[in-house]
Amino acid sequence: MNSLLPLIKNETLKMMKKKRFYVVLLVLLILVPIFVYAQMKIAETNREKFNSDWRLAIRQAITDNQNSLQSARVPEEWKKYRIIYIQQMKYYLEHDVNPQEPGGVSFTREFMDNAATLFIPLLIMAVASDIVSSERSTGTIKMLLTRPVRRWKVLFSKLIALLMFVSLIVLSAFVISYLISGLVFGYKGFSIPVFSGFQLNGSDVDLSAVHAVPQWLYLLMQLGLIWFVSITVAILAFMVSVLVRSTAASIVIMMASLIAGTILTNMASAWTSAKYLFMVNLDLTNYLSGSPAPIEGMTLGFSLIILAIWAAVALFISFTVFTKQDILN
Amino acid sequence: MSMQAVARENRELILSVEHLKKKIGKKWIVNDVNFDVRAGEIFGFLGPNGAGKTTTIRMLVDLIKPTEGKVSICGFNVNRDPERALAFVGSIVENPEVYTYMTGWENLQHFARMQPGVDDKRIQEVVEIVRLDQRIHDKVKNFSLGMRQRLGIAQALLGRPRLLILDEPTNGLDPKGIKELRAFIRTLADEGMAVFVSSHLLSEIQLLCDRVGIISQGKVLAVGGVEELISGKVPYVIWQLFPKTQGIKLLHEEGIQLVEHAHEVLDDTLIAGLREDSVVTQMDSERIPLLITKLVSQGIQIKDVHTINPTLEQLFLDMTEGESIE
Amino acid sequence: MRASSWTWRLVSWVSVVATLVFVAGFIYAIKDVLYPSASSKWSSGPAGGISSVTPQTNDKEIQIVALGDSLAKGTGDDTGEGFVRRTVNVLQKEQKAPVKLVNNLGVNGMTTSGLLPSLNEQGIQYALKGANVILLSIGGNDLFQGAQNIQSSKGLPTAAELEASVKKASMKLRQIVVKLHEINPNAQLVYVGLYNPFTDVVDMRIPGNDAVTSWNTKATAIMNQYSQSKVVPTFDLFVENSSKYLSDDHFHPNGAGYEQIAQRIAQGLK
Repeated sequence: MNSLLPLIKNETLKMMKKKRFYVVLLVLLILVPIFVYAQMKIAETNREKFNSDWRLAIRQAITDNQNSLQSARVPEEWKKYRIIYIQQMKYYLEHDVNPQEPGGVSFTREFMDNAATLFIPLLIMAVASDIVSSERSTGTIKMLLTRPVRRWKVLFSKLIALLMFVSLIVLSAFVISYLISGLVFGYKGFSIPVFSGFQLNGSDVDLSAVHAVPQWLYLLMQLGLIWFVSITVAILAFMVSVLVRSTAASIVIMMASLIAGTILTNMASAWTSAKYLFMVNLDLTNYLSGSPAPIEGMTLGFSLIILAIWAAVALFISFTVFTKQDILN
Repeated sequence: MSMQAVARENRELILSVEHLKKKIGKKWIVNDVNFDVRAGEIFGFLGPNGAGKTTTIRMLVDLIKPTEGKVSICGFNVNRDPERALAFVGSIVENPEVYTYMTGWENLQHFARMQPGVDDKRIQEVVEIVRLDQRIHDKVKNFSLGMRQRLGIAQALLGRPRLLILDEPTNGLDPKGIKELRAFIRTLADEGMAVFVSSHLLSEIQLLCDRVGIISQGKVLAVGGVEELISGKVPYVIWQLFPKTQGIKLLHEEGIQLVEHAHEVLDDTLIAGLREDSVVTQMDSERIPLLITKLVSQGIQIKDVHTINPTLEQLFLDMTEGESIE
Repeated sequence: MRASSWTWRLVSWVSVVATLVFVAGFIYAIKDVLYPSASSKWSSGPAGGISSVTPQTNDKEIQIVALGDSLAKGTGDDTGEGFVRRTVNVLQKEQKAPVKLVNNLGVNGMTTSGLLPSLNEQGIQYALKGANVILLSIGGNDLFQGAQNIQSSKGLPTAAELEASVKKASMKLRQIVVKLHEINPNAQLVYVGLYNPFTDVVDMRIPGNDAVTSWNTKATAIMNQYSQSKVVPTFDLFVENSSKYLSDDHFHPNGAGYEQIAQRIAQGLK
């Protein structure tokens, strides 16, 4: 019967023609220079303060964190983060490795790390939210579904096209960040060692498994994890787009849940069942850098399983609804 | 059974609708609809808004799943085997909604990729058929409604369908465009295509269709050839007589039935043309010459006499007992 | 059309290749996090970690590192400057050479027994090596820890307890100073002497004064071992002026108190 490839081609071309992807690129091209500039300013003040010696800057950061540990006003959960940070920084210092080695690669690593939970998901929503709902609101769904093609194939082709664009967006974020920050910080730094394998036992860091990976490999792993998070977010936005007719409503629903995720994460909530929510599990890169998970008992394996379950359920709902549904208007 | 009907039996059955029902919520929107459409035939589907017309059409093309009954196209069940059944169908459901951010050509390519055996040559062919070749590479955004309608028909024709389904095709067209479309649909039917046209405009259907199905409140009230359906109806004859009272008296004596509430049964345009001295009767037009002789012999002046042939409108009003059509 | 087919080819190839790369990264990340192999353990840099790196020193500049407790950090000073920042400010006005505060490693609540092991930390050693002036403030918490809450006189140490603390902590102080000299024999070491924060508490005035005097004597003796080291006395500042120079917590100096200390340090460095 009909091969899927032409359908995927259709969806891809529509996506390009709708220019959403160009908007995503534009947003990156505008925002990344702003972040680069901010980073440049930080680097400048550090240079002045610490004789441009990163070791002194790191050592000062350790002392500052130690001092905040003494404060009764700092919540216990935050202290855990700081203790772990102190231990990691000491490790970096002892091994004479700059964790914030200036350079396009390090900037990109930092940027991707921060972009993983909200910024990149938002960009993905820009293309995912209207992938089905726009066909409904413009009425073109009628044209689409009266072709001699099974409905699941139509939806499947949209899903594949979406996943392609997820990869493109993650790739673009990386490439644009690297190219622009490289202009300022230089394009070197792929082989700088980065430590990974910090294992957390409560507020203690187990250093036995710590090992150095070259920064390019670290970035690759980071991109892989961000990609997985992005896929999950894309699939959820996809489901919302199937269920909700209005594109605006579907964007609002997804935005609200993502932002709820960051709020819940920051609360480091005592409400432990929150760890079963997908939006609390988006910060997979934390597990790589050895930052503590927002809720006790969360591990990489746990988060991956939770995200996979959410994605699977969302796919099931999307396909069931889309193939059964009556198109009434 | 008339000669016409016999000839029809021999043609291939393209669309067959059997006991089609659809329940939405607690309401039966479509309740036991039956009809069929054969090759080379233009079938008109007539009914007021809300009669279940749209729902029925959507069930024909698998946009809505029937609660009961079935729709077959060229022998394939649309609901069970849409991939094969819909391969025979070209359709425009409601408005021809296409992707406005793409050009006409890109739209056609898009839909061409969704069915086998449609290449760029075929696209060029249908573009020429609907005479859009001048503007086909423009963005659809900049198309007029008429051009969009033609683009819609072009996409419907792409897959060389056996059945063309057009929902209110004359919407948004100017009178010239309507006339062209009518001729165009006729050509397609003459080439052997089965055409299903829905409309709420009676005159439209009467001018265009060979057969008609009338739907009201989810039920099909009548299905048949247009001629066949209206053949039993007595035409209206409108007289202008002077002096009027004497004329009426004579007509009465001859046993002619006068129509008291003409505005209820006649088309608005006709009512507008009526004058003070008009007398509306319902009678066999064969009797007009004899009546004229009698009127003249009694010294009654005849300013005008004309016959209004039975229309679908009349049929429809009779069947639905005056239910408004718009 | 040509353009659309070109777009499709580009988009599909780039996305497929990117996806494959991401999947590889994803799998590698899972492996790396779930089964971390310490096999590729970092062998302490090309020349054996930070201990082998020499910080850049500059004789033409006065580079200051501060070390110790909350006084070094500046707790109680509304401006947050403390005696360290204030000393730098004074020196910047008076000295011809540029003066720079490289690190302030003061940590609230630091005691001699907390500071001593931290001197083995390579990051701290590194910071100290680069300095030519080291400001040290330590010992206050050893003597008066727990006594900060003067409202409840129950927590107040007795004279005997104080004496024991002085003895124990001064031994640690000796080790600290030896260690500092070991790390950076060339730097001037300035030790900020203790004062009695409880001169206004009747029960603590005499024993406190005794203990602090005893401590300062011991500290002076320790510092005198090295020509580059000196003690800056603060005891006399606070004896009669505690209300003027102490902050609201009745323990740490206030801005004016820190300013006095800073002036003395600056004089000592001339």
